[in-house]
Amino acid sequence: MLSVARVASVIRALVLLAALAGVGTPLGAAVALRVVATTPLVADLVREVGGPRVSVRSLMGPGVDPHSYQPTPSDLRALQEADVVAFHGLLLEGRMEGVLQRLRTRRERVFAITADLAPAQLRQVGEGASTVDPHVWFDVRLWRDCVEPVVRALSQADPAGTGVYRARADDLRQRLSGLDAWVREALAVLPPERRVLVTSHDAFGYFGRAYHFEVVGLQGISTVGEAALSAMAELTQFLTRRRVPAIFVESSVSPKAIQRVAADAGIRVGGQLYSDSLGPPGQTAEGLDPSTYEGMVRHNVRTLVAALR
Amino acid sequence: MSGQWMLPAFDLHALLVAPWTEQRETFGWVGVMGFCVAASCGLLGNYLLLRRMALMGDAVSHSVLPGLVIAFLVSGGRDTGAMFLGALASGLGATLIIDFLQARTPLKQDAAIGIVFSALFAIGVLLTVVFAGQIDLDPDCVLNGELLFVALEPPVHWGAWTLAPPAVLRMAGVLALVVGVIAIGYRILLVSSFDPGIARAAGVRVGTVRLGLMLLLSLVVVSAFEAVGAVLVVAMLILPGATATLLTDRLPRLHLLAVLHAALSVWWGVGLAVWLDCSLAPAIVVMGAVLFALAWLFAPRGGLIAQGLRRARVLS
Repeated sequence: MLSVARVASVIRALVLLAALAGVGTPLGAAVALRVVATTPLVADLVREVGGPRVSVRSLMGPGVDPHSYQPTPSDLRALQEADVVAFHGLLLEGRMEGVLQRLRTRRERVFAITADLAPAQLRQVGEGASTVDPHVWFDVRLWRDCVEPVVRALSQADPAGTGVYRARADDLRQRLSGLDAWVREALAVLPPERRVLVTSHDAFGYFGRAYHFEVVGLQGISTVGEAALSAMAELTQFLTRRRVPAIFVESSVSPKAIQRVAADAGIRVGGQLYSDSLGPPGQTAEGLDPSTYEGMVRHNVRTLVAALR
Repeated sequence: MSGQWMLPAFDLHALLVAPWTEQRETFGWVGVMGFCVAASCGLLGNYLLLRRMALMGDAVSHSVLPGLVIAFLVSGGRDTGAMFLGALASGLGATLIIDFLQARTPLKQDAAIGIVFSALFAIGVLLTVVFAGQIDLDPDCVLNGELLFVALEPPVHWGAWTLAPPAVLRMAGVLALVVGVIAIGYRILLVSSFDPGIARAAGVRVGTVRLGLMLLLSLVVVSAFEAVGAVLVVAMLILPGATATLLTDRLPRLHLLAVLHAALSVWWGVGLAVWLDCSLAPAIVVMGAVLFALAWLFAPRGGLIAQGLRRARVLS
């Protein structure tokens, strides 16, 4: 029985969530640029480079699947009022990317953070032309190559801050190199036959390529289609044959199919990995803040190592 | 208590006036687009209701997916013209198959509609799965449109004039076409919708009129779902006509009321979307349903309140 009080509390929770998702950095006196970013990952990158000179608003909240995002009136106003609009590109944002490309003709400072990545750095999936895997952030070195377009766009919009942006970007690139080394070191405890990463959808292709993992996704690249039954059966066989110790659920995809496969194959779910999104802000666990890029990477790697070793 | 709900403050000026005055740059074209969609759908929907074909719109809107996928594969990309033609062809094809099933099998129209649109949608889903590697097209992008993005499109220029964004121009053209067809074919539409028997006796080609109507329906639905999606376009086809039907049974007034319904639901829908900061198309449909409920309550003759009063008078 649905009581009025329960409905009220559900609505309250929803409204609170909506309020949380919409929080941006408050406008301080020193802020030179208002930036709108599409995803929390893009927002984090812009924040790292811009520091206190920029206020960043992410259109999609934590845990939102970029393929199924729907804009709201306040998102629209933010986009129109922004000094700079940063998006990921490589069709991660789906149809919205087309809209943003057209927005570029009206406002010059709309840019894709993946603009500098060379075709040779990108993973092709399938045969068609528009079939580049967009999940580049799982290769920390590729993410490092996404810093430069941010510096360019911010400096162009705010020339007085160029020095600050350059210095912060150099520092960030160094930290990302350090993070890349840390990931390799942390994963070194896993022998080659244990380096199998099974998740809901094929988000970890770059991770697999960079850090020598065999990556198996239950669904295709897009998160929309239901996992086909045959894919689930095949995956169950694969897990049993290869004696994979654990498989993983993702933060922005329903865990049901993976839980079902784990139950069928008699293995455990090794934990939740962040895939298309970051964690909610302010939930620091074991010294990690998964609402930032670095925290997300460390969380994923620790989760993998703990479950697979 | 009210503070705990954390609903945004309700400010009539901010919700109903400001979007069209201070924030015109944001909501102006969105409102025009919404109105063109809702009015085209509403005007055409009147005839669907009269002919008991309300669900034909549902059939068309769900049948376009295979057409979109095939157009994508044939044209090798997201060419708007090809996609439009593909969607139009499969929408029209769906209505033809439905008519055929209805005429040649013992099935009634509801069953024929149910079979055809779900089968075509399923074919579309299968095609997207089979060709998943080659197309970047989710069933989702057919089901959800995006009205708000209209505001971000740069307007088309014509000489020294700044016209509307292209999507708005297209939809305004569709609305003009619907109005034109109704104005020119009014008598024929009227008689063939109310009484096909008399129409046939008077020499009207009932089958051709029906085919023309289905072509127009496919055109409207395909143009509209870019903005509102395949599910909500059905509500826009049915709600204005249904609301108008509660208030009058004369065709000219049905048209006027349907357009009024379209305008009011967009106006209030934008207000609702701004208030709750939510997606616009569902907000418009919710307000359209609210208008329907109001008409149902307050209709002078058949409304709930009028009925209650009459019953009370009879009893006393």
